[in-house]
Amino acid sequence: MKVFQIALGILAAIGGFVDIGDLVFNVSAGATFGYQLLWVVVIGVIGIIVYSEMCGRVAAVSGKAVFDAVRERLGFRTSIAALVSAQVVNLMTLTAEIGGVAICLQLLSGLPYRSLILIAGVSLAIVVWVTSFNWIERIFGYGGLCLLVFAVAAVKLHPVWSAIGHGFVPHMQTQNPLLYAYFAVGLLGAAMTPYEVYFYSSGGVEERWGPKDLGLNKANAMIGYGLGGFLSFALMIVGGSLFLGKGIEPQFLGSITLGAEVPLGQIGLLLAIVGILFAVGGAAIDTLFAGAYNLAQFLGWEWGRYRHPSGAPRFTLTWLVLLLLALGAVMTGVDPVQLTEYAVIFSAVALPLTYIPILLVANDRAYMRQYVNGRLANVLGLV
Amino acid sequence: MSETIDLGLLLVDHQLLDSEDRRCGNVDELVLEGGPGERLEVVAILSGPGAWRGRAGRTGRIAAWLSGGERVRVPWEEVDTIAAHVKLRKRAETLGLGRGDDRLRRYMEKIPGANR
Repeated sequence: MKVFQIALGILAAIGGFVDIGDLVFNVSAGATFGYQLLWVVVIGVIGIIVYSEMCGRVAAVSGKAVFDAVRERLGFRTSIAALVSAQVVNLMTLTAEIGGVAICLQLLSGLPYRSLILIAGVSLAIVVWVTSFNWIERIFGYGGLCLLVFAVAAVKLHPVWSAIGHGFVPHMQTQNPLLYAYFAVGLLGAAMTPYEVYFYSSGGVEERWGPKDLGLNKANAMIGYGLGGFLSFALMIVGGSLFLGKGIEPQFLGSITLGAEVPLGQIGLLLAIVGILFAVGGAAIDTLFAGAYNLAQFLGWEWGRYRHPSGAPRFTLTWLVLLLLALGAVMTGVDPVQLTEYAVIFSAVALPLTYIPILLVANDRAYMRQYVNGRLANVLGLV
Repeated sequence: MSETIDLGLLLVDHQLLDSEDRRCGNVDELVLEGGPGERLEVVAILSGPGAWRGRAGRTGRIAAWLSGGERVRVPWEEVDTIAAHVKLRKRAETLGLGRGDDRLRRYMEKIPGANR
């Protein structure tokens, strides 16, 4: 039974791995540089595995979520800077994800974009308000599994496998090294989006993980994110096989779905849209909660996604306000795909403010006892 | 609690839990007492945005002003244990902590589905 539960959790994690940042950057990187940047995705996936495992371990052993550690270790003044930058990135990401949900709804229904933004926002609010988190995780995680259609599409597009193999070896064949660097930073930022670790570690605290759950934590991080990384490879391979050299830049979510439609027809298109809808919708909910976790942990408020809304009132009010702010932002007509690019690049710059305190706590024997970081985790974390 | 602890590392900025494990604020500042040449003694914990004013210059004052500036003094005798979190001996309501959540709960409970 336990194995079954772990398998279900991992399936949900795979479906929930990809968000709008991964979709945009992996397909665009493929369209611009072919398979050259696959090695960066590997580094990004190793990075998110290392830090998720570390955050989960800190949560299990010390009972501290990320922003507890940030506040305790960075001091009040610096932790305010960390909080503000985390919340700005979160809000940008949330805005982009809600825009992404509205675009998917538009592709499915043909209704006007602005009214679909409202429908997307109100639907997300109702789902989060009335549904228990276990169900939210399952519904959006399994729905997101439809994105596996891109893995099938990647094979059906008959890519040059030797070129893909070569993509896993760091190299640069371009006249435009700045653009290459931009995509490399973007791919890292997309794979290591901070909201994922805020969300993951808070969940560990809430589910009252203890040292006995460290194996489960490791399995979740390695298998869930590792297999989720395969979806990123598939997206880049599709981008490279379909768009490279044809002068097409997939600037719209709609053009990303072409990656499944061209090799697989209407069914591929439908699965791609539904997969993106659930993946991006699930990511919107995770981001929403992550923003509320950060503020509540920084201020010492009651928090929790498994609590009913009035069980943690200021936490609930925070996510409601964040949702309203993001809805207001997306209603201004800002382009979700462009906003995603800004959010991902900004989050890559702000990453150290999130990850360094975790590294410090994970090395603190007073908290972590025999479960402190090993040398491998420290080296990989620092890199 | 006679053992030595590093107040800066293991107490300040840590989460407060009441006697029923409810999260009810942070240790935002400590009140120390002692005359010249005497040992300093921690006599109370201050919790709430009002305690930020003295901590981070202008940033702290602005943050305190934005957050309403409320501050609660918890006598040191009310501290039960200091581990990953600081556990208190009484309920938050008795100590005047967590009032923001309590005030908001009254309104939120009236919305359908808030107590699912």
